[in-house]
Amino acid sequence: MTDRNAVVRSCVRMGARSAGYAPPKLVLLFETQTADKSPMSISIKRRAEAHRGIEVKPFIEVAAGPGGISTEGMLELWAFREVLWGFAIRQVKIRYKQAAIGIGWAVIQPVVSAALFAVVLGRLASVPSEGEPYLLFALAGMVGWTYFSSAGGSGSESLVSNQSLLRKIYFPREVLPLASVGAALIDLVPGLAVLAVAAGLYGTAPSAPWLATPLIVLILIVFAAAFSLGLSAINVYYRDVKYALPFIFQLGLFLSPVVYSVQAIPARWRELYAILNPAAAAIDGFRRIFIHRAWPDATVTFGALAWASVLLLFCYVFFKRLERGFSDRV
Amino acid sequence: MSSSSGSSAVSRTGSDVTIAIAFEGVSKHFRGAGYRMLRDDLAAAAARGLRRAPPARDVVRALDDVTFDIPEGQSSALIGLNGAGKTTALKIATRIAYPTAGRVRVRGRVGALIEVGTGMHPELTGRENVQLYGRILGLSRRDINARFERIVNFADIGEALDRPVKQFSSGMQLRLGFSLAAHLEPDVLLVDEAIAVGDAGFQYRCVERMSALVREGRTLVLVSHNMSAIETLCQRAILLRDGRVAADGTAKNVVRKYLLGVQADLLAQDPAFRVTAAPGRLEIVNVSILNEAGLEVDEVNTGTSMTARLHYRAREPILEPIFEVGISDGRIGCFTLASMLVDGQVPAYLSGDGHVDCTFAELPLRPRTYELWLAVRGQEGFGDLVDWQRVRVFRVGGEIEGPGKGAVTHTLVNAAPVTIPYRWAVVRGTTETS
Repeated sequence: MTDRNAVVRSCVRMGARSAGYAPPKLVLLFETQTADKSPMSISIKRRAEAHRGIEVKPFIEVAAGPGGISTEGMLELWAFREVLWGFAIRQVKIRYKQAAIGIGWAVIQPVVSAALFAVVLGRLASVPSEGEPYLLFALAGMVGWTYFSSAGGSGSESLVSNQSLLRKIYFPREVLPLASVGAALIDLVPGLAVLAVAAGLYGTAPSAPWLATPLIVLILIVFAAAFSLGLSAINVYYRDVKYALPFIFQLGLFLSPVVYSVQAIPARWRELYAILNPAAAAIDGFRRIFIHRAWPDATVTFGALAWASVLLLFCYVFFKRLERGFSDRV
Repeated sequence: MSSSSGSSAVSRTGSDVTIAIAFEGVSKHFRGAGYRMLRDDLAAAAARGLRRAPPARDVVRALDDVTFDIPEGQSSALIGLNGAGKTTALKIATRIAYPTAGRVRVRGRVGALIEVGTGMHPELTGRENVQLYGRILGLSRRDINARFERIVNFADIGEALDRPVKQFSSGMQLRLGFSLAAHLEPDVLLVDEAIAVGDAGFQYRCVERMSALVREGRTLVLVSHNMSAIETLCQRAILLRDGRVAADGTAKNVVRKYLLGVQADLLAQDPAFRVTAAPGRLEIVNVSILNEAGLEVDEVNTGTSMTARLHYRAREPILEPIFEVGISDGRIGCFTLASMLVDGQVPAYLSGDGHVDCTFAELPLRPRTYELWLAVRGQEGFGDLVDWQRVRVFRVGGEIEGPGKGAVTHTLVNAAPVTIPYRWAVVRGTTETS
């Protein structure tokens, strides 16, 4: 018995090297190796022990039952990282193809909507903006919110819009929504650059807290990934998601401090609010960094990151549970 | 190709044949047709909550308890009518879909070609698509670069490589897709209908490429309706019918069984189709087939004469009706046509009930099922009395005889229905004796 386990382990290692990832349930390899289906014939065992004669190949088992998350699944996702990258690149490449202004849209969208809010809400309605120019204030909100809504929007549609792929080719399905979330970063980078430049124009010089930007972006990525995994899976079963999305984002825009300040929330609830809505934590973080030259609030930042990670885990499990039916139902 | 020579390369030593694909009691059920909507599910959930039976739904059994093993290095075909479950089986073997019951185990790197050209994105160039599609199919960037030249050459798309795929002709897209999958060099290659695409030259190269992979000892599972390709490529065939394994054996035997079944189904359908005609003037009430002895039959022997008897009913005298009778094998067009318009043997008139006989002498047709087509035109034009339509299915029986090996006889029958008397002459070059 110990012999066999040692062989299995060594085969797992060999398989991992030759195939690029560890094949799931490799132990069963021996069962299928013999025509008479005995667990392991003597000749195979001898060859396996000799360690040379047996050619280790990846092995897959497709059995009935619901899916779930597993070590094999995670390893496989890692093995498919190049595919994830390829999908993200593809999405970036086609995003602005045949659009005359191209990547310029990534700048125009947040700037124009921030300008609109500045006129309507800042000037006409005099919404308080933490004592800063409303345009800058709204721009910080819009850059964060635009990323979340475009990543979440394309992520939620990713399975349905690639249904021909789902029906014809195997790959871990979470690759598609995750690639959408990654691809949307191409819009966030110019957006943040515009925010930095605008802050500079209003007289805010670069400062040490800028170093916290990746952490804030990470909150948005994790939150958008959770959102995309959950809604893309539901979207396969109920296309109602497509029609609900605009409302969800409209509601989210007002539930998040995009056009108003987190200061508008009663102090007692402020931290809890910003943690439970990670988008609020991120927007507040951007404002502190780029407008107030301050470090983001540690409790809110790490609290929101932790909450977003919990959401991500929950949505990932949900996604994997439903995954096996995707190709039948999409 | 004889099956014995191929299998000796597969089974290395008697008992320890390595299995590449194992289906174990695999079933796949789909819920009935149509889209399920949220409100249906809510209704079902409500019914469950109230402990009532949920509304019954049709269940489609795409696969029903399918079990078979495919040894490593064997080339097999899955055959069957549309909807028999062939594609579903391939999809489960590649983890695209999951079974409702049972399990499938596959050993080795799998290359699947469920539909050529999927994964191609119209906005990306051919080059970019090769990179992406290759990665989805499991090649690393280095692997793709190493094979890039061969892939592009095989696909034969030349200058178009750097244009967006949306500007490709559909043929070019298909060629690129197949080329990519065929150069994966997987241990197990699953191919669905790929050779049904492209022009004849490309189809030929596809078959060549697949047989090269088989020669290298890779496992091939082919789903196709092209029986001659199956016989060329595959040692074994598995016949699926309504999601179950109906036959499993050598490609030659199973293909023959399948074709006989198809023909039997066609005959059983309703040998005399309902003849549709402009109401009133002339009606074809029945079409019967008579053999040499003048007996009504469904099957006539090859090389003998066959009479198609067209029973008509004329409500009023019809002047100079022109009959045209054709024989087809199911492909577009007839390969022979008896036309009164050409031969000029037009009757002066038809009246009352009667029949018109059309006799084909010494049928040069190889044994299988054929269709009889008919049109009757009057003074007004083609088909004005009876539209051109299939009116009867009949079978040509008998054996193709000859001292040759005849291993692929029925493939020949399938591909070439007509026998024209022929002879060979072989002229040998004079060799200088040394």
